[in-house]
Amino acid sequence: MGADTVLKAENIKKLIGNYEILKGINFSIKRGEFVSIVGASGSGKSTLLYILGLLDTPTEGKIFLENKEVDFSQEKKLAALRNRKFGFIFQFHYLISEFTALENVMIPMLKAGVDSKRAKEKAEYLLERLGLKDKILRKPYQLSGGEQQRVAIARAIANDPILLLADEPTGNLDSVNTQKVMEIFQELNSEGTTIVMVTHERELTRMTHRVVEIKDGEIVEETTLV
Amino acid sequence: MKGNFFISLRLFFERRRQSIIATLGVVIGTAAFIVMSSMVNGFQKYFLEEALNINGHVKIFVGSTFREDRILRKVYKEGIFFVLGAKPKSVKNRISNYSEILNRYARDENVLGITLHLIGNGVISYGVKEKPVTFVGIFPELENKTLRISKYLVKNNLAQLKRNKEAVILGIKLAEELGIKDIGKKVVLVLPNGTLHRLKVVDLLNTGITEIDKSRVYLHIKKLQDILGKPNEVNEVILKLKSADLAPFYAKRLTKETGYRAESWQESFKNFLSIFKIQKIITRSVVFAILLVSGFGIFNIIMMTVLEKKRDIAILKAMGYEKRDIILIFSLQGIIIGVFGGLVGNILSYGILEWLETIKIEVEGIVRAEGFILDRSISYHLQGFIFAVLVSFFASFYPAYRASRFHPVEVFRSGS
Ligand SMILES: Nc1ncnc2c1ncn2[C@@H]1O[C@H](COP(=O)(O)OP(=O)(O)OP(=O)(O)O)[C@@H](O)[C@H]1O
Ligand SMILES: [Mg+2]
Repeated sequence: MGADTVLKAENIKKLIGNYEILKGINFSIKRGEFVSIVGASGSGKSTLLYILGLLDTPTEGKIFLENKEVDFSQEKKLAALRNRKFGFIFQFHYLISEFTALENVMIPMLKAGVDSKRAKEKAEYLLERLGLKDKILRKPYQLSGGEQQRVAIARAIANDPILLLADEPTGNLDSVNTQKVMEIFQELNSEGTTIVMVTHERELTRMTHRVVEIKDGEIVEETTLV
Repeated sequence: MKGNFFISLRLFFERRRQSIIATLGVVIGTAAFIVMSSMVNGFQKYFLEEALNINGHVKIFVGSTFREDRILRKVYKEGIFFVLGAKPKSVKNRISNYSEILNRYARDENVLGITLHLIGNGVISYGVKEKPVTFVGIFPELENKTLRISKYLVKNNLAQLKRNKEAVILGIKLAEELGIKDIGKKVVLVLPNGTLHRLKVVDLLNTGITEIDKSRVYLHIKKLQDILGKPNEVNEVILKLKSADLAPFYAKRLTKETGYRAESWQESFKNFLSIFKIQKIITRSVVFAILLVSGFGIFNIIMMTVLEKKRDIAILKAMGYEKRDIILIFSLQGIIIGVFGGLVGNILSYGILEWLETIKIEVEGIVRAEGFILDRSISYHLQGFIFAVLVSFFASFYPAYRASRFHPVEVFRSGS
């Protein structure tokens, strides 16, 4: 594997009971890539993404992060890696409802040990970049769905992750907001952020570099677009 | 770490309604603890302090050598027989070696003073009213040097006892029961041998302790020796010690050394002390129950918060917060509730105690007072605060632990 490989999955299997959700996935992501994962509902996309993001443990197989094998038995280390190296975006925003947009974005930075003044400045900057300058002090319920998702994106990139993992980030959005989110992703990607996005909207994959199709827990097709 | 504090504090202040309810329980528990401790201990301390002031720590007297259950020995081999209701033997009711005791113990570094009494029984009458009493013959100066008797005299006329051969001092409740409202009245003392002695009330003793004020009669010891026909006799020696805790030790030693019975105040007040103990147990149980209820309140509220915040906990874990962080965030909620509740409870109890002190009511029971007798010790405030924090911490720990076990993937899968 080359020096420009951010993450490599080797023969990843996931069993739940007797049911094999993932049947040996081999797959790697290069630095600066924008990869989309597609597949039918229930094909195992989310499961794969959770394992790539070290949120779930594979039953078999290995994950190499920046060429180092991940030890899934060390919870503390996994947490630290998630904090420093990954950004997560889900279909639902999962913002903490009691906190303002600004505070929500600060939370991963505070865990990383950034002092609160710097965390606040950076959160302000990120929210401003995502077009939420006037809304940084609003609570999630005072924001529209699209705005909520943009706050979630700001939170995901707060610690400058090497890999941004998104599971149907536009699943709850209308076409205008979907467009906005995709533009943000492309901009972040053009600045060097590596992105893996799960989606079932085929047309969105056209904005990505590579499309990986999963069927019944196996990769059935890989298409490189650029 | 910083993140945990930040999240915990913000949650506490943002979830205002829950926080206030949980805190209120702690406030009430803390305040109840402090106020009840002050009241119960105030009363008990007051009683013992005053009672020991006037009664001393160790009493040496001629104990009855008569035992109800003397064993008849060597009558039958196969059993033990008791004799019940045997006729008491007469014992000379005098302490003959009192000057020896005085000499030996006056120099003891733990003995603050020794005073001598002659105790007798009789009936006191005023007009048609009669009361059986035990009277105490005292050396007024010695008595006052050892015990703080003049502190409790309404007219401060102790000296009259020496000057006036007919003088008598009555407990204020006893006087009241006889119908005497003021000094100067003449009463008659009737002795068991049938003789009558006219005495003049020169002062009233008001200790606030009903038991004493209802029964105490002081005469000059010479007068009593005279009318009882017991010249120079003493039948009670009282020791005042440096520390009340030394009394049992000295009582034991004195019993052995003097050949008479020496009784510590702990023994004399056994009944009161056991009442006090029960009183304390009851108060503690009530306070414990209150704390338990507020603990359950906190437990419930944190548990609810945790279940409601499952998704937030999942995303926190996804963002790299560890089990330890989650435990900290939620048990910190408990600690914040405890600290806040403890502080407010302290302030509230301070206010209540201040208010109780201004209340004037006639209390009459074991002690008489014109209001609540409170022990305003800072240690109750501290204890109350520490209890509040501990209870809140323990109440929140299990919910916090549960929260730390949530698996983010399971939460995300369960949708929305
Ligand atoms: N905990 C579990 N127990 C049993 N089956 C599970 C569990 N988790 C996932 N599965 C099954 O694994 C399969 C893959 O699930 P996954 O969520 O990865 O699919 P997906 O491709 O993300 O689907 P969707 O597009 O609907 O989100 C599904 O058939 C699902 O029912
Ligand atoms: Mg999915």
